[in-house]
Amino acid sequence: MDYFIQQLINGLTLGGVYALIALGYTMVYGIIQLINFAHGEFFAAGGYMGVIFISWLAAQGVHPYVCLGIGLVLAMLYCAMLAMAVERLAYRPLRQASRLAVLLSALGMSIFLQNGLMLTQGQYDKAYPTEITAGGFQLGGLYISYMQCLIVALTIFLLVVLNLLVFKTRIGKAMRATAQDKVMSALVGINANHIIALTFAIGAGLAAAAGIMVGLYYGTVSYSMGFVPGIKAFAAAVLGGIGNITGAMIGGLIIGMVEIFAAGYISSQYKDVFAFIILIGVLYFKPTGIMGENVDDTRV
Amino acid sequence: MANLILDDICVRFGGLQALTDVSFSLAEGEVVGLIGPNGAGKTTVFNVITGVYKASSGAATYDGKRITGLRPYQVLAMGIARTFQNIRLFPRMTALENCMVAQHSRSSVGVVGAVLRSPSQRREEARIQEKSQRALDFMGLGDMADEISSNLPYGHQRRLEIARALASEPQTLLLDEPAAGLNPSESRELMEAIGHITDLGINVLMVEHDMKVVMGICNRIVVLDHGVMIAEGRPEQIQRDPKVIEAYLGQ
Amino acid sequence: MKRLIVLGVALAALALVLAGCGSDGAEEKQADQVLKIGTLSPLTGPYAADGNDIRQGAEAAVAVIKAQGGIPGFSDIVVVPADSACDPKQAVAAANKLINDKVPAVVGAYCSSATIPASETLAEEDIIMITPASTSPVVTERGLPYMFRTCGRDDHQAPAAVKFMKEVADVKSVFIVDDKTTYSQGMADGVAAAAKEAGIEVLGHEHVNQGDKDFSAVLTMVKDRNPDLFYISLQNSSSGATMVIQARRMGINAILMGQDAVFHPKLIEFAKADAEGMFCTFGDIDTTTQGYLDFLANYSSKYSAPGAYSAYSYDSAMAYLLAVKAAGTTDPAAVRAELLKLSFDGASKTVSYDEKGDSGSNYTVYQVRDGQFVPYWNSLTGQKY
Repeated sequence: MDYFIQQLINGLTLGGVYALIALGYTMVYGIIQLINFAHGEFFAAGGYMGVIFISWLAAQGVHPYVCLGIGLVLAMLYCAMLAMAVERLAYRPLRQASRLAVLLSALGMSIFLQNGLMLTQGQYDKAYPTEITAGGFQLGGLYISYMQCLIVALTIFLLVVLNLLVFKTRIGKAMRATAQDKVMSALVGINANHIIALTFAIGAGLAAAAGIMVGLYYGTVSYSMGFVPGIKAFAAAVLGGIGNITGAMIGGLIIGMVEIFAAGYISSQYKDVFAFIILIGVLYFKPTGIMGENVDDTRV
Repeated sequence: MANLILDDICVRFGGLQALTDVSFSLAEGEVVGLIGPNGAGKTTVFNVITGVYKASSGAATYDGKRITGLRPYQVLAMGIARTFQNIRLFPRMTALENCMVAQHSRSSVGVVGAVLRSPSQRREEARIQEKSQRALDFMGLGDMADEISSNLPYGHQRRLEIARALASEPQTLLLDEPAAGLNPSESRELMEAIGHITDLGINVLMVEHDMKVVMGICNRIVVLDHGVMIAEGRPEQIQRDPKVIEAYLGQ
Repeated sequence: MKRLIVLGVALAALALVLAGCGSDGAEEKQADQVLKIGTLSPLTGPYAADGNDIRQGAEAAVAVIKAQGGIPGFSDIVVVPADSACDPKQAVAAANKLINDKVPAVVGAYCSSATIPASETLAEEDIIMITPASTSPVVTERGLPYMFRTCGRDDHQAPAAVKFMKEVADVKSVFIVDDKTTYSQGMADGVAAAAKEAGIEVLGHEHVNQGDKDFSAVLTMVKDRNPDLFYISLQNSSSGATMVIQARRMGINAILMGQDAVFHPKLIEFAKADAEGMFCTFGDIDTTTQGYLDFLANYSSKYSAPGAYSAYSYDSAMAYLLAVKAAGTTDPAAVRAELLKLSFDGASKTVSYDEKGDSGSNYTVYQVRDGQFVPYWNSLTGQKY
């Protein structure tokens, strides 16, 4: 039983990370029907910015949790700006072009950003000052690290904030309106370009937060770290119903859980196989994903 | 004030001349009808005014300021709202949310304020909600505020489009066939509602096929045929104009 | 008639071009040649750290030979690096690039899964290949005449590791994890088989994916089975560090042991205190020999501190250069003969190759102590240091 619960906690942690990344895919897809292949790079860039800021602050003798807080906010802001710049340079000029052209642009951006990270940060991994978050506590037969608590808490916090933003504020309404009908939203007074840029920024900010947590949790970041979680998170977004925010969260959790339980009970050799079997299975019976809406609804 | 003036507007799509030297104006408190056979360029006129299409030449001004060349959201911010011939609501939002979105350009709270839900943001949100509710009440949709717009009956969707346009607090309303698909009693109610709109001091430019509606509420009528203005005048003049009759009969 | 004239002109032009080529070639032969050495290693991707160590090791060897006056008959010696990315397909493409660059020899590759297909491509052109890092037995077991290896073999390393577990660490049970590469899984399988033979219970043998960062599921399993020793056979040091950090954080108290791919200063740099006490097998490098000190002086003047395979790569390139010097030509058969005769005090060991191309294994168990790898036990002598 302890074993099961321990794996459940592992799954929750990993699922939370996937959910944060998946949100960026799904939001961008929802608003401009683009699979932003460069999204995983924002996750990696966030991880690097985190290690840079946190290490620097820690070297100044700042309290570990203050380092973490400030580092998190700065890295999220940095990635938000990076994403807006990418959108401005690589996607906005192609707004009227075919979807394939934008997709290729996204792939190109992914390669550009990944190599940019390698050239500026070096090909060696970078180590997080993991001491600041080390430790954990024993709960019966369970061992829960502080980092796991932090990841789950921060993920829930960010998801709540995002939900409030999207469903309760005027900005969120503008985002949903732009996603549903770009021409009409312009005619009711929404600057679609601002909203699209904002969507990229929010998605990248969440990915950056995931990047930092992964760095702290696993100890190191590498320039190529965005690829694999990027693909998994994209699968999570599709599983949940791409374009749907709640779906991305659910999809992320499912992929994380399936991976952990497949690894914990069958073999970690097959964990990705099971994650993708679930994906294929769901798409077979419900092609739009778990929370997916009827695609015909979306007029562009 | 609130005069919309079109001056020698031309629109070309490649080799196709969609509008040729269209000039007319819309004065305060006026209801002007824009009529013409199918393909005459009526919706194109709307699209040029609202910034969806660019005019190839000519200029449109509003309150003395040039609006040709502005982006749609900028035109809306100046006070011109529109509806569509085929309904274009945000299908997965409630009636109330559809109206609230329309006030985007009237709101000033930035992203940070929106995320932090500062007191000023909450006040603003409450104010927007109240105004949207009033717009719904005005169009007789007050008790359907929380319905998802795509679930509303057709007639109500048409009204919601107008309510949404009103929610952006326009000075000028462009209605594209507001009575299309409505039964006689529904279009009578709609005419009454449009009458109330003008009472608010909003001037209206509308495209409409239903002559009863047009003749009933328009102060003036502009007739287009193949992108060219062939007549302009009071309803009774237009009804007798031989060029208009020919354009319709020759169709 | 007109057509005939055109044809004639065309033929004349063609003849001129061909003549031009011929004379170019002749000139090149007369002048001193440039000796090219290719390197094949992952310069990008997760194994770029080790890959660049390999490139730099070869460059250091070339610098040393050039400082000694070069090789008679060659005006210059250059290193032509190619990126294998630890990927079989890209390794073959990179090998073809090196063939196009007309290199007579290649130092590399790193991952056995890249070395094996690349060596087959290079063998077709009779290009000498010396691997400084691929320890899979298959590499030298295929009868390729121009395949050499400066590092040890896994079928020596795995028994050495198990001998240590049994005789020194005195463990009763082991849990093994690998990441499914030709090398890492081959190594893990070897350890599993040897452990069973030695009467050590294998409580589990799990496989993770290359590039994974999350090992929580498999580590929870390790913790649950509670082995005396946890054997980590991953393809690179940074994955190893990630696994070590997570294992310690999860409260796994088993003895940790790794192999020569996780043996790298970066392991300690990343895992810091969590790596303390961990054991790794690595081909013994005596850091007090003159050969090593020469290498270190040269290498450190240009690059940062040497990585795990810098010395092996340096020796591989050095062996080739010495063989060419002795043979006076890059003719592969002549160079092979010289390589087999060769014996010199290199940076890693006294280098000499047998008929298969192997140079023998000398695995030592290192322990991480106070942030450094310290030699702990020598598998050949069975003695602690």
